[in-house]
Amino acid sequence: MATYDGLFNALGLRDWCDAGGGGGGPMSMADLMARASGNTAAQEVSWWDLPLPSLNNLHAACGAIWQTRDLTLGLERAFLSARDALRIVLDPATQPLSWMLRQMIWLMVATPWFIMLPVLLAVTWAVARSWRVVGLVAVSLGFLAFVDHYTEAMQTLAIIFVCAFICVLIGVPVGIAMSRSNTLRRIGTPVLDMLQTLPAFVYLIPLIFLFSVTEPKLYGIAIILYAIVPVIRLTDLGIRLVDPDVIEAADAFGMTRGQKLWRVQIPLALPNIMAGVNQTIMMSLAMVVIASLVSAPGLGVLVLRGIRNLELGVGLVAGFGIVLLAIILDRVTKASLARIDVSRDGR
Amino acid sequence: MDAPVKIRIRNLYKIFGSRPAAVLPQVLEGLSKPDLLARHNHVLGLRDINVDIREGQITVIMGLSGSGKSTLIRHLNRLIEPTAGEVLVDGDNILTWNDRRLRDLRRKTMSMVFQKFALLPHRTVLDNAGMALFTQGVPRKGYEADARKWLDRVGLGGYGAHFPHQLSGGMQQRVGIARALTSNAGIMLMDEAFSALDPLIRTDMQNLLLELQAELHKTIVFITHDLDEALKLADHLVILKDGQVIQQGEPQHILLNPADPYIEAFIADINRARVLRVRSIMRQPIGDGAVDGEIEADATLEQVIAASQGDLSRHYRVIEDGRPVGMLDMPSLVRALVPR
Repeated sequence: MATYDGLFNALGLRDWCDAGGGGGGPMSMADLMARASGNTAAQEVSWWDLPLPSLNNLHAACGAIWQTRDLTLGLERAFLSARDALRIVLDPATQPLSWMLRQMIWLMVATPWFIMLPVLLAVTWAVARSWRVVGLVAVSLGFLAFVDHYTEAMQTLAIIFVCAFICVLIGVPVGIAMSRSNTLRRIGTPVLDMLQTLPAFVYLIPLIFLFSVTEPKLYGIAIILYAIVPVIRLTDLGIRLVDPDVIEAADAFGMTRGQKLWRVQIPLALPNIMAGVNQTIMMSLAMVVIASLVSAPGLGVLVLRGIRNLELGVGLVAGFGIVLLAIILDRVTKASLARIDVSRDGR
Repeated sequence: MDAPVKIRIRNLYKIFGSRPAAVLPQVLEGLSKPDLLARHNHVLGLRDINVDIREGQITVIMGLSGSGKSTLIRHLNRLIEPTAGEVLVDGDNILTWNDRRLRDLRRKTMSMVFQKFALLPHRTVLDNAGMALFTQGVPRKGYEADARKWLDRVGLGGYGAHFPHQLSGGMQQRVGIARALTSNAGIMLMDEAFSALDPLIRTDMQNLLLELQAELHKTIVFITHDLDEALKLADHLVILKDGQVIQQGEPQHILLNPADPYIEAFIADINRARVLRVRSIMRQPIGDGAVDGEIEADATLEQVIAASQGDLSRHYRVIEDGRPVGMLDMPSLVRALVPR
C-alpha cells in the first residue's frame, strides 16, 4: 500500500493503526483521482521518490495518525469552542475602545472644518513649537481638503489618535515593567517579535471570529496589537540605557524606587520613549489601510476601492493622502522629540 | 588626641559569585583569592577588613584598581551588601537596618561624591545641589538658599541655572561636592572623586577639600589610587591590596616604616622631601644647646632644606604652638629622604 506500512509493522503498531479507523475524514481530491484511475494498488516506488514523512503521508500508512486538515480543523474547533468564553471577558473589556473610536471619529468629522483645522494647527504648534512644521501641516491638510479628502483624512487621523494614545497608555507601563524584570523581558521579547513579524492580515482572522465586524474595536485592536511594539521596546531600552552611575547616585542619596522612576529614569528615558511613540504612530498608519478590510473608515477605504474596482486615480490620490499624513505626523513628533532632547540633554 | 570612632568596620568579607555564603567557610579558613576563583568560580572582593574611621578626620583608602577600594566604600552606605561582617555607624550595626532606616541614613547621615560626577543631566545645577533635600521632600523654596550657599562656597555662584553638561569636568565635580555638602550629612564618602580631573584642577580640588575640611570637620572617607593625593589628604591612611588591608596608620608613619615590600615599592617614587614633615623625624629630648634657628613641626622637609640653604651642619629646635617639642639636625633629615 503506502511506503511507510513497513515502518509501522516493524514497530508493532499495526493493530493500533487499524483500530484508528483509517480514512475517517472526508476524502481528498487526490484520493478521488487515484480511485478514479484505479491505481489504489501498491506501486513499486523507487527510493528516489520516497515521500516526506508528513502527516498526510503517514496517515496513508496508518489510519490512527491525523491528517493535516484534521489539525487545522482541530484548531478551528478549539478556537470556536473557546470563543464564547473569550467573548465574555474580552467584549466588555474592549468596549471602551469601540466607544472611544466612535466618539473620536464623530467629533473630528462633525466639527466644522473652519474650527477643526485651526485646532489641529494649534495642537501642532503646542507640540512642535516650530512654524515650519505648522506650515507643512497647514499645506498638507489644505491640499487634502482641497481635493475633497477632508472627511476621510479626519477619520484616519481620529483612528490613529485613539490607537496611538492607547498604545502609549499600555505600552509605556509594560515597557517599564520589562525594564525592571529580566524574567518579564525574556517572556515579553518573543511575544513582541511575533506581534511585529506576524503578517498584518493574520491578526484580523481571529478578531473577526471574536467580534462583530460592525464594531470599531475590531480594527482598533488589530492596529494596537501591531503598533504597540515599538513603544514597549523603546521604553524598555530607554530605561535600561539610563547611566548606571546616575542611578547609583540616586540610591546613594536615598531615593525610593518611585522617586528613582519618576525623577530620574523616566525623564532620562523620555527621548527614547518619544522615538517609540513616533514609530508607533507610523505603524498604526500603515495598519489603517489593512484595517479598512474590516470596516475601518478613512483613506484606506478609498485605497481599497481603487484596488477592488481598478480605479487607478482614486487609489493613487488616497495613497498619496496617507503618505502626506505620515509625513506630517512624523515631522510633528520628531520636532517635539528634538525639543525634549535640547532642553534636557543637549547631546 | 584621638577623635571618637564614627564608623567601625569589623571583619568585613565580600565574595562575588552565585553562592557566596556556601564558599565563605573555606575563605574564613584561608582559601586564597586565586584558588577561590579556580575551584569555585567566586571572586574574593574583600577579606577581613577592620578599619576605624574617626570623626572629623579624612580617612583615605588607597589601592590600585581591583584592590577592592570602591567595593569597600559602597559597604559603608550599603550600596553593596557584605557577605559577612559588621559596619557600625555611631555604634549601631547598619546591616541590621531595614530599608526605611537605611534611606534615612543615606539622606541625612552620609553623602557621596562620585568619580564620574553622576549628576542628574536633566536638572539644573541648583536642583542637583539640592538633590538630597529634594529627595527628603523639601520643595525648591526650602532648599534653594542652602544649595546657593554651598554652590557659592565651592566657587560656582551664578551657575545655578546652568545644566551640568554646560560645565567643565572640574566644575561638575564642584557641583558634586556642593550636592554632598547641601545634604548637611556628617559623613562624606568620596569615591575617586578627583581621579577623572586633569592634574592642575585636581590640585585645586584637593586644596578646596582641605579648606572646607578645616572649616567643617566632616568625617570624610576618600578613595584614591594616587599615593600623592592620599598623602596630601589623609589623616589616616589605609592601604588595600587584593581585598586585604596590608597597612594602615598615620601616613608619615607608613612612609617611614613600610610594613611590606609592596608598600616599599609603592612609596619609592614619592617626593619624600615634600611629603614628610619635621614632626615625623624630629628627635627627643629637647636639648638646650645652641641652635641655628627654630622651625615649625608641621613644616615639610623641603621647607627646612630651603631655610638651611643646604648647610648640613645646622641644628634646629622644633616648635609647635610656640613651645619647643623636639630637635632636628640636618644629617638625620637627609637620611630620612632615602627610603630604607
